[in-house]
Amino acid sequence: MAKPTDLVQGTLDLLILKTVSLEPKHGWAIAKRIQQISGEVLQVQQGSLYPALHRLEQKAWIKAKWMESETGRRAKFYSLTAAGRAQLEKEADNWNRLSAAINLVVQT
Amino acid sequence: MSGVRRLWFWLRALFDRNRSNRLLDDEIQFHLEQQIAENIARGMTGNEARYAAMRAFGNPTALKEETRESWGWTWLEQIAQDLRYGARTLAKNPGFTITAVLAVALGIGVNTGIFSVLNGVALKLLPVPAADQMVSVDQIFHGKFRRNLHGESGLFSYSEYKDYRENNRVFSGLLAYAPFLGEVPLGGESPKPLMGAETSCDFFDVLRERPALGRVFVEADCSAPGVGPVVVLSDELWRSRFAAAPQILGTSISLNRTRFVVIGVAAPGFRGLDPWPIEFWVPVTMQKALEPDSDLLPEDNTGWLALLGRIRPGVSLGEIRANLGVIAGRIDQQYPGRTTTLAIHRATFLGRSEERTVVFGIGSVVLAAVGLVLLIACANVANLLLARASARQKEIAIRLSIGGSRWRIVRQLLTESLLIAFLGGTLGSMVVFWSIEGIARYLLTHLPHDVPRLVWDVSPDPHVWGYTLVLTALTGIVFGLAPALHATRQDLSTAVKGDSAGFLGKAASGGMLRSTLVGVQAAVCMVLLIAAGLLMRGLYLTQTVDPGFEMKGIAQARFDLSSAQGYNAAHAQAFQREFIAHVEALPGVDEAEQARAMPLGNQFLGTELTPSGETESRQFEFNVVSPGFFAMLGMPMVRGRTFTQVETMADAAVLVVTESTARRLWPGGDPIGKTLRDGEKKEYQIVGVVKESQVSHLGHSDGLFLYMPAGPKEQGVLQLLVRSNNSDVATINAIREAARVLDPDLIVEVTRLEDNLELWRTPSRIVAVLSGVLGALALLLASSGVHGVVSYGVSQRIREIGIRMALGADGHDVMRLVLRQALRPVVVGGVIGIIGCAAVSQVLSDVLYGVGAHDPIAFFGVPLFLLAMAFLASYVPARRASRLDPIEALRHE
Repeated sequence: MAKPTDLVQGTLDLLILKTVSLEPKHGWAIAKRIQQISGEVLQVQQGSLYPALHRLEQKAWIKAKWMESETGRRAKFYSLTAAGRAQLEKEADNWNRLSAAINLVVQT
Repeated sequence: MSGVRRLWFWLRALFDRNRSNRLLDDEIQFHLEQQIAENIARGMTGNEARYAAMRAFGNPTALKEETRESWGWTWLEQIAQDLRYGARTLAKNPGFTITAVLAVALGIGVNTGIFSVLNGVALKLLPVPAADQMVSVDQIFHGKFRRNLHGESGLFSYSEYKDYRENNRVFSGLLAYAPFLGEVPLGGESPKPLMGAETSCDFFDVLRERPALGRVFVEADCSAPGVGPVVVLSDELWRSRFAAAPQILGTSISLNRTRFVVIGVAAPGFRGLDPWPIEFWVPVTMQKALEPDSDLLPEDNTGWLALLGRIRPGVSLGEIRANLGVIAGRIDQQYPGRTTTLAIHRATFLGRSEERTVVFGIGSVVLAAVGLVLLIACANVANLLLARASARQKEIAIRLSIGGSRWRIVRQLLTESLLIAFLGGTLGSMVVFWSIEGIARYLLTHLPHDVPRLVWDVSPDPHVWGYTLVLTALTGIVFGLAPALHATRQDLSTAVKGDSAGFLGKAASGGMLRSTLVGVQAAVCMVLLIAAGLLMRGLYLTQTVDPGFEMKGIAQARFDLSSAQGYNAAHAQAFQREFIAHVEALPGVDEAEQARAMPLGNQFLGTELTPSGETESRQFEFNVVSPGFFAMLGMPMVRGRTFTQVETMADAAVLVVTESTARRLWPGGDPIGKTLRDGEKKEYQIVGVVKESQVSHLGHSDGLFLYMPAGPKEQGVLQLLVRSNNSDVATINAIREAARVLDPDLIVEVTRLEDNLELWRTPSRIVAVLSGVLGALALLLASSGVHGVVSYGVSQRIREIGIRMALGADGHDVMRLVLRQALRPVVVGGVIGIIGCAAVSQVLSDVLYGVGAHDPIAFFGVPLFLLAMAFLASYVPARRASRLDPIEALRHE
């Protein structure tokens, strides 16, 4: 069973950090958001989001809070911490460098 | 910050696992509900929406598991799981568990006990307040120089002590004391020898020892030689000798016939800084009063004082070394050719360099020996585990084949071995902790009376606990790792099918590893047993050795008529004359002879003489004896004659030498009439050659040895040998009484001459008993190991044996087969052990009297014995195998 996350190992963290950087979101919303923005290209297996979310919470890059969701049910909302913001910048830089390099190789 | 937060998460996850799990369930449930709601909004039916949501989500159980792992306590949970599982498996196999735990308990117990003793002797800090601030300082000299010694080479002279004390910047106090004062007679009703110490006047202050009564020394007591005749008594002496009377303060007691005023009594339990208990302390400046023969205070180049400093707060050992090194360098300038380095250690008993070398040398040998016993125990348990692992092969194979990771299973098996190790370690060390003080007390009170009394605190402390803990953990890993790795490396398909090894040829899986373990046991056991054998032989020899002279029916009276006792030459001569007359008049006494050193009495006299015709002087051992000495001890003259009465009375310059001395100095020539000259050019003429005997060192008679006549000048240092045909006890009491009549204050020690042998035999007896016990333990463990392995092997091969028998093998063939396979590793290991031991035995024979390096009885007898034991251990299961009913055996599953 090949997990989609295997493919994007490491980049999933980047995607999550970026997604929660604008406003606090719960897990489902994060999954949804990633799919929408990427134009349904990135098929993240939804469940695999949770180990990643908890791992990032452990690293204190994101923090979680139980709040009422739009439907009125309580949900766990994740938001970015200061350390997470720094990490996001670092990973985004890395990603830009990597993709630029790959673009160069692919286009020549 | 993030570290704190992470810890918080971890702790919360650990202690509130249920809540965390519930919240995770809730979070995922919410996700699914959202997805289902969205799917329904897209037009799916309820069930379709649910399945689609689940598909999109993945396996929730696995994902939850993965999430929980990120919380970071799964490993702890796994350990708890392993422990529970291990405990259950052990409880289900009580036979195995008890055998294994007992083997470990034995090994760990022996090691803990020995380490406790070593710890008490040389690792514990001194029993004084804030002992971790105390360091001992001693010197190691290099280069060519002359120095007088009074004890060990690392000791300081008084002027050196003052130099270090006044010029260092690293100590808040630096004390000195003379550790080798020895026994001093306490005068009074019945004189008694006491162990005392001469100390600097800050001694008690630096140690922070408050007196229980009165005061301790002040600087004024030490201001000049002889000005402070004051003494501090030990609490024990005060109670035993002075009935704990507080009026003792201010009264005076007689030490070596000098009056000392009692100013204080030390705190109960304070017995000085050496393992032998000190009973009184006097200022170092009173040295000459206690030892009138020597005046050590003004001697700048005589080492006799041990130094201990209390470190100033915040000063490191490095700074101490640097600061004191400067002072040492300055002192060295007065002695061209000499360089001094200082050894600085945390102060312990036996902490001076020379003592440390001896203690750590002996200690490491003993620890190595008990380590070997533990190794045998480990091999035993490893073998048991291997056997059990084969029995559990199917279980392990199934776990492996359904995807259990090998590491996880190894970890589980290791947890089990650690559990065994800790059960055994706890049992063994508990028994030791509970009994060691009693054992030590018993042993110390049962030493022969010539050995000084010792105080050793062998009670366990954090050192011992730590040692035992680390050793136990190591033990568990040592005996558990190989079987665990072995058990998890297997051919899954055969194992799962249950064709568990042992079918024809393939002699039980792990056979090689098991044989190796048996071989190791045999080798180690062989080393221990041969060593024990050699030591026992040594003991036997010391018990039966013929020292070459007569000891039976001879009593020795030891006393000291030196100026220390207030005797001058004339007094001494008069005392000796009358004493001999009294003794010779006693009923049953045949004769009395004088000698300066008692045969085998642990007194060694040395001198330098130059043989005629040579220019370089040689070292001789000597004794001063009266003419009848040789006849009394049954030492025949080989050539010439003994001294005449006339020569003796005139202090004539004549000598008797031993046979080997004559042979070495004048090979082939006639020694009679030859001369030796001393440092003052005085010539001594040889008048006789006496037959060899071991009068000085038991077991050795080949040193250069000569006798001088016991003339009038020597009377102050002579002691008496008395031969009597009366009973020993009666003679001894009569001699004591004769001396008391002449001088009630004089301490006269009267014993049988034979008792001197005890002093020589005690060390080899202690060592032989210790090594015998260790050897027996090793043998017990090793033979139970062999027995276990062979029994297991037989039980695994019952079907094979059945087939062999069905094909025509009879009981003898089967027995031969089993025995051959059982004994092969024992023989291989044994041979390796013998070779190893041949290397070790040289060391032993150098250290202990009477131990031959290649003693044939030890080297042939012990291997045969071990082989016989191994044979016996394998014979029982082998016989069982040979009596199998082939039909039954073939059906055996």
